[in-house]
Amino acid sequence: MIVTAPKPLDEILDSICPYRKVLIAGCDGCTQPPRGIREAKTLSQLLELGGKLRGKDFQFKVTTVVKQCDSFLTASALKPQMDGAEAVLSLACGAGVQTIAELFPDLPVLPAQNTHFIGVEDREGGILEERCTACGDCLLARTGGICPVTRCAKGLLNGACGGARNGKCEMDPARDCAWELIFQRLEKQGKLDLLKEFRPPRNYQLMAWRLTP
Amino acid sequence: MNKMAPPKDRAQVEEVIDEASGKVYLPPCQIACPIGMDIQRTHGMIALLPLDAQEAYDQIIRMGDEIYQKNPLFPICGYICGLCEAECNYKDQTGTIRRRMLLRFLSDYYLPYLETKPALASPTKEKVAMVGGGPAGLMCAYILSKKGYRVTIIERSSELGGALRYIPQYRLPTNIIDTTLNNLVRIAHIDVKYGIKMGDGEKTLDDLKNDGYRAVFIATGTLIPRPLTIEREPVVGVELDGVVFGLNLLFDVNQGKVSPQLFQGRRVIVVGGGNVAFDVARTARRLGGDVSIVCLECEEKASKDGIPADVEEIEGGSEEGIGITYSRGVEEIIGEGGKFKKIKCPQCTSVFDENGLFNPKFNYSDVVYLEGDVLLVTIGQAPERTFYQQEGLLDERGRLNIDQLTLMSNRKEGVFIGGDVRRVGFAAEAMRDGMIAAESIDRYLKGKNLKSGREKGHESAPIPSRENYKPQPELVWAPVEERLNFEPFEKGFSLEQAVEEAKRCLYCGPCRSCKACVALELQPEIPEIELDKDLCISCGNCAFYCPYQAVKLDSPGGVSFDLAYCKGCGLCVAKCPAMALELENWERERISDLISQLSSEVQSPKILVFRCQWTVCPPRDGEFAPNIRTIDLPCAARVDNLHILEAFQKGVDGVLVAACPEEDCHRGSGSREAQRLVAKLKERLDQIGFEDRLHFCSVSRRDPEQLDKELRQFRQRIEAVVSQREGK
Repeated sequence: MIVTAPKPLDEILDSICPYRKVLIAGCDGCTQPPRGIREAKTLSQLLELGGKLRGKDFQFKVTTVVKQCDSFLTASALKPQMDGAEAVLSLACGAGVQTIAELFPDLPVLPAQNTHFIGVEDREGGILEERCTACGDCLLARTGGICPVTRCAKGLLNGACGGARNGKCEMDPARDCAWELIFQRLEKQGKLDLLKEFRPPRNYQLMAWRLTP
Repeated sequence: MNKMAPPKDRAQVEEVIDEASGKVYLPPCQIACPIGMDIQRTHGMIALLPLDAQEAYDQIIRMGDEIYQKNPLFPICGYICGLCEAECNYKDQTGTIRRRMLLRFLSDYYLPYLETKPALASPTKEKVAMVGGGPAGLMCAYILSKKGYRVTIIERSSELGGALRYIPQYRLPTNIIDTTLNNLVRIAHIDVKYGIKMGDGEKTLDDLKNDGYRAVFIATGTLIPRPLTIEREPVVGVELDGVVFGLNLLFDVNQGKVSPQLFQGRRVIVVGGGNVAFDVARTARRLGGDVSIVCLECEEKASKDGIPADVEEIEGGSEEGIGITYSRGVEEIIGEGGKFKKIKCPQCTSVFDENGLFNPKFNYSDVVYLEGDVLLVTIGQAPERTFYQQEGLLDERGRLNIDQLTLMSNRKEGVFIGGDVRRVGFAAEAMRDGMIAAESIDRYLKGKNLKSGREKGHESAPIPSRENYKPQPELVWAPVEERLNFEPFEKGFSLEQAVEEAKRCLYCGPCRSCKACVALELQPEIPEIELDKDLCISCGNCAFYCPYQAVKLDSPGGVSFDLAYCKGCGLCVAKCPAMALELENWERERISDLISQLSSEVQSPKILVFRCQWTVCPPRDGEFAPNIRTIDLPCAARVDNLHILEAFQKGVDGVLVAACPEEDCHRGSGSREAQRLVAKLKERLDQIGFEDRLHFCSVSRRDPEQLDKELRQFRQRIEAVVSQREGK
């Protein structure tokens, strides 16, 4: 899932301040953290209350889109809702915000979330963690399904740096050493020989900006 | 919520049947109870009793009336039965819910009222006879009388109660039996004929037929004490002076035929390891004896040869100075001058064989002699079968020939047999036979099929879990020096203790087979969850947060609800990001309407309280002060940020969320989740300048003043906020 976090409400209030009629568009695409219709409605209520305190009387309309990153889906969901809207406040990740902006180039489209990373959700612990940087050269097959590019603080490709203590990263003791995790996983699978293979430095040219599906 | 008194039948329990297996879902305690008492329901009701005894009284009597309908002997069960406790899901945590003590609590309130309880309508239908006035016969008579049959109990002794009359008075006081049974006879119009013996040239079943009885239920119990044997041969020496059957002692003591100092200065040996043996030993101790027990079984209760008596009996006996010699049999009773002197006890190496059959093995080279003045033999009872033989009710191997499902004799139509004579067991098991026979007799006399639809399997729902398990209350017994008499020594629960104990209950069973909340008019009916599949985004939040495993994730997408497990807390509704779920009776719209209504009528500074309905009972009228209004929710879990914000939008100045303390939460996680929701929302409200307007508090019914106190403080805060705002 693309993991985002809500922007502070005063920042959002500042950004929507010039407008009165605002459409708040939720996104159901990545389910965690929830950014669907409930969050859209909650946000409208909070902004209305906050607006009143600033002497501003917003008119919000709320809706949600199955996946804001899909321009076809977004267009068909939002077009009928757009009537009279002076701005769109999007609850999606940066991709969703830009989809709407491209679909409605005359309208200001404002993000309500800060986009952080591609990650996974641990509902039990209430944590979201990064798992993928979209490097374009996936090497998970050779690292026991653990990504060193994201999970090693230094992004090392050929084993641990040597700075880890008790399995924790020297940059941040709350973080597991990715290479130690990789070693343990491969050891368990009896595939430690995979580590003998040298990996050349990361090729940033592989980070594609456009693909044909 | 705005509540309307539900019609009576809506509060009646329903059977929750699993469609796939056809099995009936029930809490394990209720499955364990031979007569299937609605245990969870009474726990729910006791948990919500007001703490003022006067206020609680009417509710307790109503509860008693309801229990009485199913079990007219419940005031007795509260003293002697704890079969349900053995299956309680709390057992493996901090100890079972003390159901027996809770039932006794109700019984102690209910018994004085029983004297004034109105009788049933006079029966007019066919005459039915019960032979034997013990728990089985009484139960059968009561149910048949309720169905309109004219019932007669034929009792060979001079009083009703059967085996109940053998229970020592320190456990079950005579007045409890007398009050319960005398009133039962009056209420159910039971015609009791005392001193009539069946068989042996006296009355026969044909005589009963000629007297106009259309069906007979025979439950004559097990009157004959089992004699001591070794290697299947009678033990020699039983004729010696001083060798007595324990059962006879119990009966004589209860009849007042025995001197209170009978065993003063004498050494008494009791043979047997069951509860009755302990009754005998502790009775002998109360008659002044120096008592010890010898039994075949070993000390480790959990092993296959473990002592069968209850832990409470063993502990109680030990406190009273009764020693136990484990793993010893009696090979020979030795006398001197015709008087009992000692027993020869070889070591018992095994009691039950690999097939689980009673087949004791001894090591005769390891022998001890136990000396005493009195030997009380209490190793079980057997039925008196002559009458059954004379009536041709036995099969060729001398066993009762009956249908085990309907209890009707395979030999004689219209004759039903049950209770201890069928299988020696607990009083409640005999009562179950009475229930089964009553149903069979009713069907028989109406010419209906005796068997159809009667075979039911039971299944327990998944066990709800808790973050905190509360400790089990200790039983309070009088100190030993004060209890060596026949007064009951166990202290009953006070109202407050009963409420606390009932609140520990996990409510393992389905809501529909309980409905305590409906009966108490907390809600008009058990709410159902409604899912709008078109809105669902398959995020799985409902399945993840459900405290009861009532939601299943379907593959490839979507969810389905098992309403047998759902307890209607509404947590899934509050957690659904797609707003695809609704909780019946607590629909979003309905709460919104209430918010509009209350926020327009309440005076400034306006305070709205979202309150878990379990925090205060009976629910107050929702008004604390002119500026405070309350909305009751099924659980704090249903508190919804949309509703809190809506209240602010509609001009409410402060919102208070009142939930049970986390450890008291009926739903396990409801209170905690509400607290989290409030904390998160507060953070965001702070960002827009709405500080201090929202507050979470946990209020306990143990401290009814607490909510008032919280409200006073919150009100001061809101007043300050409002005056500051107006000053600006």
